[in-house]
This record gives sequence, structure tokens and C-alpha cells, in this order.
Amino acid sequence: MAVDEAERWTVTIDVPEEAELVEAGERFELSVREDETILSAARADGLWLPADCQQGWCITCAARLEEGEVDMSAARRYYDSDEAAGYVLTCVAKPRSDLRLVVGQSDALLQVRADNDQPPGRSKLN
Amino acid sequence: MSEDKPHTSGQVDPGDTSKRVGAETLRERGLDPEELREKLIDAISAEFIGTYYYYTDLRMHLAGHEDYKEITEDARLEDRAHFELLVPRVYELGGKLPGDIRDFADRSSCPEATLPDDPSAENILEVLLEAERCAIRTWTEICDMTHGKDPRTYDMAQRVLQEEIEHEAWFIELLSMERDGEVRPAGHFIRGEPGDAPYSTNRRINDSA
Repeated sequence: MAVDEAERWTVTIDVPEEAELVEAGERFELSVREDETILSAARADGLWLPADCQQGWCITCAARLEEGEVDMSAARRYYDSDEAAGYVLTCVAKPRSDLRLVVGQSDALLQVRADNDQPPGRSKLN
Repeated sequence: MSEDKPHTSGQVDPGDTSKRVGAETLRERGLDPEELREKLIDAISAEFIGTYYYYTDLRMHLAGHEDYKEITEDARLEDRAHFELLVPRVYELGGKLPGDIRDFADRSSCPEATLPDDPSAENILEVLLEAERCAIRTWTEICDMTHGKDPRTYDMAQRVLQEEIEHEAWFIELLSMERDGEVRPAGHFIRGEPGDAPYSTNRRINDSA
């Protein structure tokens, strides 16, 4: 499918008050193509969300999915327990519906990993 | 007194060895030295385990491609040089290497560059390329984090970043030709010796390293 024919979804991003981002406390709404990652779309739109590896591994970009669906198949390290706890990695997450998420959740996902004896949480927190 | 000697100000009492001015000056400038050192541990894990260790295996499987092996050898040794360059900084900032290498591996900020199920030259080159791309992102983040606040870490990180960018160019050139038959020159001359690490080696600082 050509890029301009790709389906688009509305992605609502909440930046928590406590986030160390200049946009703390703000809400953003983006139109994201189904073949585009949420991180890439946000940065292209001027919202500089935190990220590092951009391969779905390091969890720097973790967000909590409040509503909707994403495709996480490109993640290099993503566990069923991450999904069960409601976390996604925006660097590889592609929208599959309109959705809403809360960004700046790397510490929270790190704790989930530690609670489930998974890396890197188990090595950093346990 | 502090007006006469502004750099004697701060939170470290004379003779106090429990704190480091080299770390407290970062905190005074808004950079959390503990957060930085933990990020450095993750990053050097990626260099030592994520790439140096796994590149050794990848290189061994490039049989029949001596040119690819030479380039991979440069990248492999330079990634080890990156580890060597930054380890002292972790300790300077009050940190240490994990006691268990498995904990160290867990923390890698990049995926391990493991041998693909089909170890063709094309597939191996793609693994090498994506590993370098991850490293570029990591060291760019560290440059962003330290710029204007921590000149020592920034200097180290930008040296590593320069070589990671060169590595990406090497593997783009090789993969483009191997997979697509296309010429995308890296535009670089050969290293003076394998793994020369012209920007990042700490050999000139310490011959024993």
C-alpha cells in the first residue's frame, strides 16, 4: 500500500504533570499512519518524546495504553506481562485503531519487568 | 570567600571523600549524575556485550567474505574501545560494573547482535547495520543529556558517536552492494590498524588499557 493510501488513526497523547518534559500536563492529538510508529509521528509533529534504541528493546519510550490497539510486532524485547499491564513501546508501536496513551512510563514498566523477573528491571531494581 | 574563588563553592566540605566535586558540579547544573552513570552502564553494556561479544561470532560466520570480515573486525574492536573509554567514567560518577555479567547483559541499551538463523552475509550485514544504528541513537541521547553540563562525558560520548556513525556508513555500503547490487560509498579510508578507534581509543591516555 502506498504511503498516502495508508489508513490513519487518531492518537491522543497525555503527558503527565510529573513528566520531565516541557509539555508536562498537556494533551496532544496526532493523525498517525498505520505504517508509522507513534514516536516517529509525535517527533515529526514537534512533540519530542523520550526514546533511545528505537528498536523496541530499552523501554525508554514506554507508554501506558489507555484505549485502543497497537501493533507491537517489531519490538525486539516485549513480554506478555508488559501487554497485560497495559504498556507499549512507542518507538515500534503502530496504531491499529484510534487510541489514547500516557507517555513517560519507563520507570513504571521497569518495575513491571522487575516484578516479573525480566530484564532490565530484574537487574536494575531487584 | 566564594566571591573571590567561585569554584570553591558547593556542597562538598574540605577533606570529604564521600562526595565528588566532579559529580556535584553536574548536579548543580541540572544533570543527575546517578541517572547519567546508570545510562552509561546500559550503553557500555551494549558496546561490550551487545556488539563486541556478538560481533565476534558474526565475524566468524562471514566465511568467504574477507573484506566484510576486516570491516567487522574494525567495528568489533572499536566497540570494545568504547567500553574501555567509558568504564572509568562510570566509576568517577560513583558507579560500578554489575558484579554478575548476566546482570550487565540484561541492561544493554541495545539488542544483542545475535547470529541470524540464516547466517548469510546479507543477513549478518543487516544485523551489524541495525546494531550500529542503535548505538548512534544511544550516544546521541547521551550527548544531548550532557551537552553544556558535563564536558567530560560529552567529549567521550561524541568521540564514540563519531565512530558509530562511520560504522553505519561502512555497513550501509556493504549491505547495499551485497543485497541490492547498489553502490552507496561510505567515503572513508581504511584504519591505520585493525580497530584503530581514531576518536575513542584510550590507549593514548593509558597504554595498559
